[in-house]
Amino acid sequence: MPTERDAIQKAMTRFTGVTGSQLDTLTVRVFTDFAMCFSDLVSTNRQPAARRTSHVGNVEGLERLASLSGGLISLTAHVGNWELAGRLLAGRSARPTHVVVAPDEARELQRWVRRDGEGVRFVSRSRPTVSLELLAALRRGEVVGMQGDRALGTKGDVEVPFFGRPARFPLGPFLLSSGVGVPLLPAFCLLDAQYRYVVKIAEPFTAVRGEEEAAARTWVAALEAIVREYPTQWFNFFDIWEPFDQ
Amino acid sequence: MEIDKVLEELKGIMVERLKFEPSRLPDLSLATVLPKDLEGSLGLDSLDFIELSIGIEERFGFVIDEAQDLAAHFQSLGALVEYIRSRLADR
Repeated sequence: MPTERDAIQKAMTRFTGVTGSQLDTLTVRVFTDFAMCFSDLVSTNRQPAARRTSHVGNVEGLERLASLSGGLISLTAHVGNWELAGRLLAGRSARPTHVVVAPDEARELQRWVRRDGEGVRFVSRSRPTVSLELLAALRRGEVVGMQGDRALGTKGDVEVPFFGRPARFPLGPFLLSSGVGVPLLPAFCLLDAQYRYVVKIAEPFTAVRGEEEAAARTWVAALEAIVREYPTQWFNFFDIWEPFDQ
Repeated sequence: MEIDKVLEELKGIMVERLKFEPSRLPDLSLATVLPKDLEGSLGLDSLDFIELSIGIEERFGFVIDEAQDLAAHFQSLGALVEYIRSRLADR
């Protein structure tokens, strides 16, 4: 996988500044961390919710989720075990959760990692009118889970500095937030040094109508802080700064 | 509100919020299909539908019903005009 390895090396260099053998070590670590997170995802998804939580050592910022009533957008990224985070938060929020997923992404794996149930429903963003469903769900006080790190390559992207260099991020979560007036809650699920998961919930914020780009910058700052702390759990195996040039 | 009036308001929303090219407005009719990937459609994507629905709420003064399956109402300008008129009539 030379292309993926090159992309990860570029990311690790920018995230950490390391070079040489240290860079090689970090790069290998990304692939091993990914293997661990993915195998955990497949196995824990087949377990009841109560057993799933036994893999989680600590939840930081849970009071931020508890303080929110009504609809909210749980915003995460391809960092750590993002799908496990979604299921855990769905259980904690006690509200129906609609998880937006990319169309045709590893279709053969869907039955292993994307089972509807326990309050979670996976929604493909392939249908353009899916946003109407999401707006309605948020108005009903439900939760929408979205990824905020992969640009779409359309006019729905916004350019924001990421580790000092412009990168494109999707604007959709922020338009939904401003459209309904619901908060965005950045949340991540990361492997700790003891190979248990820690869930980190950052400060919620609400996008203001007409100022969605500012909200995107707030999100990217939260993402950057997590990636700085856990660089080897960055699981975007492409060049995040030039995703459409490959 | 008359059909033509609602349609004109929708065209205004499309220019204002969806940055639709005004010179293309004469091409729009009740038969115009909206979602992308459908033959002959205007090619609206998910972000466009957010803008369109928020614009409708602001322009017509009602909140789009969260209990209904809304996709059918946003398939074409004609369907959307009918939906808006029915909501206005309910008030």
